[in-house]
Amino acid sequence: MAGWRGSRSRPGGGSPRAERIPSSRTIQLGHVQPQAPGHRTVFCNDREANVNAKFKGNSISTTKYNVLTFLPKGLFEQFRRVANSYFLMISLLSCTPVSPVSPITNVVPLSMVLFVSLVKEAYEDWKRLQNDKAINNSSIEVLQDRRWESIPWKKLQVGDVVRVRQDAFFPADLLFLASSNSDGVCYTETANLDGETNLKIRKALERTWDYVTSEKASEFNGEVQCEQPNNSLYTFTGNLIIEKQTLPLSPNQILLRGCSLRNTEYIVGTVMMNSMNVPSKRSTLEKKLDKVIVSLFLILFCMCLIGSMGGAIWINLKDYYLQLGKKDSTNTPQFDPNNRFAVFALGIFTLITLYSPIIPISLYVSVEMIKFIQSTQFINNDLHMYHTETNTPALARTSNINEELGQVEYIFSDKTGTLTRNLMEFFKCSIGGESYGTGITEIEMGGAQRNGKNIGEVRNSSIAIREKGFNFDDARLMHGAWRNEPYPDMCKEFFRCLAICHTVLPEGEESPEKIQYQAASPDEAALVTAAKRFGFFFFRRTPTMIYVRESHVEKMGKVRDVSYEILNVLEFNSTRKRQSVICRYPDGRLVLYCKGADTVIYERLTSGNNDLRNTTREHMEQYGAAGLRTLCLAYKDLSLDMYESWNEKFIQAKSSLRDREKKLDEVAELIERDLNLIGCTAIEDKLQEGVPSCIETLSRAGIKIWVLTGDKMETAINIAYACKLINNDMKQFIISSETAAIREVENKGDQVELERFIKDAVKTELKKCHEEAQNYLQSASGPKLALLIDGKCLMYALDPSLRRMLLSLSMSCSSVVTRLVRKGAQRITLSIGDGANDVGMIQAAHVGVGISGLEGMQAVMASDFAIAQFRFLTDLLLVHGRWSYLRICKVVTYFFYKNLTFSLTQFWFTFETGYSGQRFYDDWFQSLYNVLFTALPVIIFGLLEKDVSASLSKKYPELYKEGIRNAYFKWRVLGILAFFSVYQSIVVYNFVLTSSSRGVTSSGKMLGLWDVSTMAFTCLVITVNLRLLMMCNTITRWHHISVGGSILLWFIFIFVYSYISTNKGIFYVIYVLTSTLYFYITLLLVPVVALLGDFLYQGIQRWFFPYDYQIVQEVHRHEPDGSSAGLLEIGNQLTPDEARSYAFAQLPQEKSKHTGFAFDSPGYESFFASQQGVKAPQKAWDVVRRASMRSKPKKPQTS
Amino acid sequence: MSVRGSGVDEVVGCLPLKLVVGYRSVDSGGYLGSIMLVMDSRFTQQELPACKPILTPRWVISAFMLVSIVFIPIGLASLFASRDVVEIIDRYETDCIPQALRNDKVKYIQGPEDKTCNRTLRVPKRMKQPIYVYYQLDNFYQNHRRYVKSRSDKQLKDPKSENDVSACKPEDATPPGSNPIVPCGLIAWSMFNDTYSFSRNSEQLPLNKKGISWKSDRQHKFGKEVFPKNFQNGTLIGGAHLNSSIPLSEQEDLIVWMRTAALPTFRKLYGKIEVDLQANESIEVQLKNYYNTYSFNGKKKLVLSTTSWLGGKNDFIGIAYLSVGGLCFVLAMAFTIIYLVKPRRLGDPSYLSWNRNP
Repeated sequence: MAGWRGSRSRPGGGSPRAERIPSSRTIQLGHVQPQAPGHRTVFCNDREANVNAKFKGNSISTTKYNVLTFLPKGLFEQFRRVANSYFLMISLLSCTPVSPVSPITNVVPLSMVLFVSLVKEAYEDWKRLQNDKAINNSSIEVLQDRRWESIPWKKLQVGDVVRVRQDAFFPADLLFLASSNSDGVCYTETANLDGETNLKIRKALERTWDYVTSEKASEFNGEVQCEQPNNSLYTFTGNLIIEKQTLPLSPNQILLRGCSLRNTEYIVGTVMMNSMNVPSKRSTLEKKLDKVIVSLFLILFCMCLIGSMGGAIWINLKDYYLQLGKKDSTNTPQFDPNNRFAVFALGIFTLITLYSPIIPISLYVSVEMIKFIQSTQFINNDLHMYHTETNTPALARTSNINEELGQVEYIFSDKTGTLTRNLMEFFKCSIGGESYGTGITEIEMGGAQRNGKNIGEVRNSSIAIREKGFNFDDARLMHGAWRNEPYPDMCKEFFRCLAICHTVLPEGEESPEKIQYQAASPDEAALVTAAKRFGFFFFRRTPTMIYVRESHVEKMGKVRDVSYEILNVLEFNSTRKRQSVICRYPDGRLVLYCKGADTVIYERLTSGNNDLRNTTREHMEQYGAAGLRTLCLAYKDLSLDMYESWNEKFIQAKSSLRDREKKLDEVAELIERDLNLIGCTAIEDKLQEGVPSCIETLSRAGIKIWVLTGDKMETAINIAYACKLINNDMKQFIISSETAAIREVENKGDQVELERFIKDAVKTELKKCHEEAQNYLQSASGPKLALLIDGKCLMYALDPSLRRMLLSLSMSCSSVVTRLVRKGAQRITLSIGDGANDVGMIQAAHVGVGISGLEGMQAVMASDFAIAQFRFLTDLLLVHGRWSYLRICKVVTYFFYKNLTFSLTQFWFTFETGYSGQRFYDDWFQSLYNVLFTALPVIIFGLLEKDVSASLSKKYPELYKEGIRNAYFKWRVLGILAFFSVYQSIVVYNFVLTSSSRGVTSSGKMLGLWDVSTMAFTCLVITVNLRLLMMCNTITRWHHISVGGSILLWFIFIFVYSYISTNKGIFYVIYVLTSTLYFYITLLLVPVVALLGDFLYQGIQRWFFPYDYQIVQEVHRHEPDGSSAGLLEIGNQLTPDEARSYAFAQLPQEKSKHTGFAFDSPGYESFFASQQGVKAPQKAWDVVRRASMRSKPKKPQTS
Repeated sequence: MSVRGSGVDEVVGCLPLKLVVGYRSVDSGGYLGSIMLVMDSRFTQQELPACKPILTPRWVISAFMLVSIVFIPIGLASLFASRDVVEIIDRYETDCIPQALRNDKVKYIQGPEDKTCNRTLRVPKRMKQPIYVYYQLDNFYQNHRRYVKSRSDKQLKDPKSENDVSACKPEDATPPGSNPIVPCGLIAWSMFNDTYSFSRNSEQLPLNKKGISWKSDRQHKFGKEVFPKNFQNGTLIGGAHLNSSIPLSEQEDLIVWMRTAALPTFRKLYGKIEVDLQANESIEVQLKNYYNTYSFNGKKKLVLSTTSWLGGKNDFIGIAYLSVGGLCFVLAMAFTIIYLVKPRRLGDPSYLSWNRNP
């Protein structure tokens, strides 16, 4: 339900010009800005005019059916399954005289199966409907007849003028017209879309500022021409035409659906909208199931062929007692010895109906039931995935793909909000060569633990102050204590730099407790907060002044307000990597404060004072190693003359029309030199709880993790280290567009040339890495590989010509775009994210996981599973996923086995009946075999089977690899099962028939056909049910009850059935049987012999070729369930963390060993850039998503 | 109303909720008394009490031993029982045709000649009464689809259902479409009609033909008021004629014949001789060789057999039990040896795949 830019937009209705984004399969990534063909024109405030365009309504619908379509569409969905349509065919066939069995044999199970499936579908769809309703019925104020009227969201139409109040959500993509703020500005929170909690400023066009009141707004009648709905969040092109005046629109005037309004009383906007639809996913296992069924069908066909050929050969007039040659109404050509071809052809149909149970009809419904309970009961209720703080349980939104959770090989993760909390905290600092801050990061803790040291809880001194953005504790600096430090002046400069050099807006009451800082990047807010805590409280900003309330400066306890005149702000951008402010003290002192990446600051330091430089650098390395982002602070005193001469140049540059940006940079360069280093700050980008250990566990489980982030390469590496995504044992391949060569070409400004150049560069890089990777892979104990690639390069690498190489490279790497892998490799991918920017990724992957809880609902609505915390992925995958996979595989193979066995006994009988297709079993035996006598145990098994306990699954993540390898569902596994099916069917059939061929009681009476078949069926039911018990790793009383119950049910059934069906051959059969001793003796013999083979196989397999899980079971065989004794670390060698800087040495252009680099937030750049009307830079995930979106075929493709 | 507010509520609202106020300590640390939106039961937490059998060698060996201990005695007992049974089999379909006519057996059997045939059986061992007399047919497909369904169980039971003959075609009525045949269908029509009478030292041995069918058939499947009608009136005679004055429930030969056999080789009980036969006695059999098995090369055998507690001579069960018992014993031994020679420590982590190949 993302709006305009919402993911997976559906063409906006059938507008005449609506040529949608072409659904070509080629991906054109060379063009950053996809030019959607056609555009739409929206007439504002004029419903009639928009009627012609037939825009879509604003209601969203995630349901698959409605009341009318439910039955046809639901049935169609059901019959899309090979097995169901097969059974429909068989049912029809069994109504003809060709059939040896009566129609009930197939109709009963088929209708039961369809009924259960449809009920399940209906239930799930109903739940979705409830969801949609709630959203569609949220109310919104719309301008009608010069008044604001409340209507539900769903009634909203394109072109309506709406008023959105503070903290409310935008009901559609809006064009921002006016705000209650006089300057046409409003603040929006886009957490719902991209997971970033910082506010974004949107500014209406000046021309429309006045349309605030209803009277005024009703006069508004513009025309909006804009691009068709697409899924890019950060770009927009369009024009507003008012009174023949064309005004260009930028993303700055667009309010996206799902965002909310903050700090603004209300805004007025006009609607341009869209809604989306959700693709349905089928699990790959299910697709494979279809394959299994097709192969079973082939077996069936062979059996029929053999049988009917036999029939054609066997048929002979001589058997006069059959009166085969007789021509009359009953004698179809099927038994005409003179027409052997007819005998053959019709025989095939006869035998197909006879052997039809070979296709397990109840398989799908059983599997669905199992999955449904797994998701609603197990996943949704798991306490291990229950987030107490937010009271959020895990939520399985679909139950179709549970078992894919057990086979995930690639995880694509969003960073902000998923791995990190997007919460920046001031954590440490180094001032004048002295390191302050006593906190210990999670990474340090993890490292210490690995080295055997035990670090207790972080010691918080009593005076520690905690607030958002500040997690610093050092008594030496707090409460004015810095005055006693060796360099109090340095400290003063440090704090002033923090308090002055920024672009933060204070908001709310001007008291330290109540003030709110609005910053484009949470880093900045953290720094300003830190300054406040150190006694330099920045509380007011005017266009030219910054007011700071300074404490303890002259003397302890003294507080005074100081105003600094801001003369110039040299803004941050990605090339400068620094930000400077030139300010004038009240006493006239001119100072330039600068903060930025260590590399750029160090280049511009004044010479001398190497000690300070070195110690600060050392500190930064330490901070970096601890996973913190660092920033260098520096200042420079300016003389008035010097400043004024520079300022002239600056003003000149600022007002230049061409290359303003570049000129500004050059001018800034002139003054930002000979700086004096003050120190550095270290900010912790707070990871979500438990992320590092979760990632470590997952990678041990053989899952390859790709993190998609909008950060700089350095930050990305930093986060990757912080999450334990990469470590120093890994060989890293870095493909970056930030190389000298590329930059040079960039500077020439020739776009075509640049494109070609980057492409070549990427190509050579890729080739190089690929070769190297191959070498590593060939050597036995090569290191793990990690690939780091930036957005620009990725874009080129995704080019069809390079894709294959990228794919094979990335597949050999254990740690690094979604559709790519999904399409190229037959691997299961999982995407996890929390915001709407991840929606495309979530939907494109096999398994989409949304982070629910604090952030918005967009990701959750698009996801298959929603969890509250990233760390719950461990439980979701390693426990639930693994078990689901194991269970479903075993259930499927068991179905395969039991139906094959059943049909084979029937097959052997065919040979003895002159290939006539006589049924061996009674009709009801055959129809109830699947749905009654062998149904429940396998469902119980599918629900409760556990090979190892949950805690062991997490303790031995390697066990997960069996799922990735698909070890339980290979043709080999099926082959072995098929072998035992043949064996068991032969045993059951032959033993029973041979032993029953003589008198069976001391009264010498003989058994007839139905006695023998009932006997065989009894043996079969017992064998098949016991076989299930033999497969179990866990036997609860429910297993006993269901297995015992099924066998008992059979006996109850046969006792009743053979008593009441007086007109059938089956009459009284069981009473006859039970009156003989033979019955009991055979009943003991046959199942034992039949199962002996399996038993022997299992014994040998376990003894000589044990599966990993079997070893784990053995290791922990004496432990009660659920306990987790000391972890047995086997051969897990760990290396210290020092060498981590290796990765950075590899970074082109980056001499420094440091890592940290603030101004992470992608919002930052767009914030400043958009203020100046510069197009926001492309975000990595946008590229990725576009790659995945553009090539979307209508249905999820088969793998 | 905001999306977020409503949305989160919705997430919760979707769940089948049961509010559990409770205390529960989880791995990540306990929490107290919070209202949880999850169902906390051993089922939902997948912690149902269970036993986890591990197929250790000891288990495998004991299981094999157990099977052999149970099976070998049963095997021996049934084998002995089977050995106690004395069985005389006499194949007669060729011998009962005069030498001269053997070229065209079908013609002989369909011809008007006298079909009497005398056979002499020698009793190899003492046979205690009752001695069961069977006929055995080979290559006769009583289980052919066309054959099996060609009967009307309703008609056999209930005189009112006389016309229920739709399943019986082509032997449904005579002439087709008018008078229903009782009992109808191919099975009844093709009833076996060879007859046997036995004498010892020229003294007639009484043959008891009562009680040769299952009681349930007599009582419930064949009506006391149903009498044969229009039977074998057609142009083609399939087999035996029935006495139309005797109700079907007492026509035990028919009842036996109508319980169709499972395999194309089958025996059916003909009668019982209720005197002991001594070893080396000769039994003369006067049989009437009426039944046509010659057109399809079917064999006919006369079988005299005693029974044991297990029934007739049936070595199969005994042998099966013995060999399975024996095999299990061998396997148990083999496993023991392997266990001793090449032991694998239970739960040896070095077997874990990720430890095996560094």
